[in-house]
Amino acid sequence: MKDAVRIQMEDFSQDEEIRALQASSKRMGGIATFLGCARDFSEGREVSEISFDAYGSMALSELKNLRSDAIEKYGLLDARIVHRIGTVKGGENIVFIAAGAEHRVAALEACRWIIDELKQRVPIWKKESTPQGEAWVTPHP
Amino acid sequence: MIKVLFFGPVAERIGGNALQVEHRPGVRLQDVRDELAAQYPQAFEIVCFAAANGEHVRDMSLPLADNSEVAFMARFSGG
Repeated sequence: MKDAVRIQMEDFSQDEEIRALQASSKRMGGIATFLGCARDFSEGREVSEISFDAYGSMALSELKNLRSDAIEKYGLLDARIVHRIGTVKGGENIVFIAAGAEHRVAALEACRWIIDELKQRVPIWKKESTPQGEAWVTPHP
Repeated sequence: MIKVLFFGPVAERIGGNALQVEHRPGVRLQDVRDELAAQYPQAFEIVCFAAANGEHVRDMSLPLADNSEVAFMARFSGG
């Protein structure tokens, strides 16, 4: 089975990740997911593709910490986080988060918390390619 | 030596992904930042975070051992 936390160039399967999460416990009553995708339009410009740079070892370690923190904070039964790097075209997947808990509230809140924390804590940067040139993305609140 | 890593927008402004800084007894993370910020002011304008040996550092007075790996980073934009 694939690791619960991964940084990878290739696309991922949401179904596979959810199946792996479900397989970890039959006590799971709720699974919440977040899928982050590449937009083809940003700040008034068309975006053809997004490329990612990451401090790989630190980013993976921070993602693992994030998963453990979420499991503890929300009493999750399991969680999975996959983030792509390299080049991603408009409409393609970037990040997938799945949180499984006995009940829906913990799963939903944890999923929201993980993506918000990921943006604050994990050293990954995105650069958008537009007809006007390339530009590093300024983070949104 | 201290290995200094740069990524994304900071690396672009520096013109490279890594530099070496000579280690001196008692050198602190802030000293390395000050030294490099004087050489690369445009890059350090956007530096918001620092890491030492793969972990976030908030206290810039952290002493650095020889062969440390540090990073000066812009705000993250993953996800």
